[in-house]
Amino acid sequence: MDPIKIIDLLNQTLNEVGEKYESGELFLSELMMVGYLASEITNLLEPHLIQAEMKARGKAVIGTVKGDIHDIGKNIVIMMLQSAGFEVVDLGIDVSAERFVEAVKDEEPDVLGMSALLTSTMNEMKFVVDSLEKSELRSNVKVIIGGRPITGEFAGEIGADGYAEDAVKAVRVIKELIGIKEND
Amino acid sequence: MNKRERVLKTLDIEEPDRVPITEIDIDIPLMEAITGKKFPAATSLQTQVIADRKLERKRVDLKIECYEKVGFDMFTVDLSAPEDWRPAVNPDGTMVDLWGRVLRLDERSRAWVPYTTVFTAPEDFEDFDLPDPNAPGWAFAVEHARRTIGDDVALATFIRDPFANAWEMFTPMKFVMWMYQRPRFIKRALEALTEFNVEIIRHIAEAEVDLIISGGDYCEVKGPMVPIKFFIEVIFPCLKRQVEASRRRGIRFVKHTDGNVLPLLSDLADIVDGVHSLDPTAGVDIGEVKAEYGHRLVLMGNVAVDNLARKSRAEVEEETKNCIREASPGGGHILSSSNSWAAGADLENCLAMVETGRRYGAYPIRI
Repeated sequence: MDPIKIIDLLNQTLNEVGEKYESGELFLSELMMVGYLASEITNLLEPHLIQAEMKARGKAVIGTVKGDIHDIGKNIVIMMLQSAGFEVVDLGIDVSAERFVEAVKDEEPDVLGMSALLTSTMNEMKFVVDSLEKSELRSNVKVIIGGRPITGEFAGEIGADGYAEDAVKAVRVIKELIGIKEND
Repeated sequence: MNKRERVLKTLDIEEPDRVPITEIDIDIPLMEAITGKKFPAATSLQTQVIADRKLERKRVDLKIECYEKVGFDMFTVDLSAPEDWRPAVNPDGTMVDLWGRVLRLDERSRAWVPYTTVFTAPEDFEDFDLPDPNAPGWAFAVEHARRTIGDDVALATFIRDPFANAWEMFTPMKFVMWMYQRPRFIKRALEALTEFNVEIIRHIAEAEVDLIISGGDYCEVKGPMVPIKFFIEVIFPCLKRQVEASRRRGIRFVKHTDGNVLPLLSDLADIVDGVHSLDPTAGVDIGEVKAEYGHRLVLMGNVAVDNLARKSRAEVEEETKNCIREASPGGGHILSSSNSWAAGADLENCLAMVETGRRYGAYPIRI
């Protein structure tokens, strides 16, 4: 079977699974398991995709902000994004503003994603956005934030381009931000 | 009415003189701000990290002083490490705890937080020596706390829920993979952790504990983290065993979980004595929970922790008043935040919650 067709099918399935999770039909563990299986399939297909010259649909740099070492939400977003055909650079946890800026400079991603679980660390996101401005890199990248205390209001306040309250929405918002249609 | 009587009457779902107030925990930086005293080490709400008994006593004393200063009605304390345990600190600064969790220090809250694991496959767990609940020293902090606070203050002890413990021990992703690929293994692991808790409950009962709070989440913002079928078949039987072990010794049992607990409440009401958190940011309306389960469940909560960090004093006061108005009439309500006073919280707001609780929490409630 054509590997590109398999990826398309996988995307379609992930969209359906995401919708079911959002409507409460599926539980977090089911979303995680499907995400895991999808990312395993994507990894298996990777050499074939290179051969078929399938380009990544976008590139994202993602990390949990400085002072915060929670990564479950971030890791689910990464699995879902990889399965949706994105190239993802995972910066890990406790990532400083300098490291985010450096990664934007070096990796030239379409999207920078930041995660924070704690109210004590969410303000670090503003520091990263400001650092991108100072480095004159802000206009090169879309910034999306997420995590338990994050709201749309907060995203607006700190100058992020978008926010998502869960992994499914994160993929959807990222696609919107870089101009990919939902079912593409 | 003393603090303990106030809490015990509330646990009986009766109206005491006023609504009791407490927090399940306060981060070290906030405790230092409240007491004006410095604590020289990091702690953890999830696990045992302090081996030195002098330091452990100091940790409990700082918290007692803090709770007394704020005027909380119930003191909360977790288990100590057993006497013979010494922390294994890795060259990269991480620490492996008694449960095989690899912890990393969160500098801001000065707390050790689990972030990875020593378990790479289920077989690793089969070879792993689980801690011995009968080793001396687990109840060190509990016994010290009871001796220090005396008989007039209620005492609650945390134990870690087996599901939450395993979720962290294996890491969420591995737990989920093994739950689907090796369900019998996961069931066995949860039963082994339950066995540990049942034995621990026997030991802490001797320190005249009034309440056990089972820490660790069952839910996230959308609802339960795993299918309800798994709760019914695996998690709830484990929970029941712990509750029965507590009740046999006259100790009440409250389950804590963040997130949207509503889909689990009807089952939980048949098992536990109360629930903590009732997370408003996950859509839990404490008034609705009170109306449906208030005659069977003690409710602990639910001033939003995020609001303690970000809202104005007036807004926190209003939220606290609303919480009392909805949950306190008839008794069975312990006022607290929807998680704990974390390092990001505004201390003025935290204290405003307590002041408002005292001002408007006298029975009969008239707001």
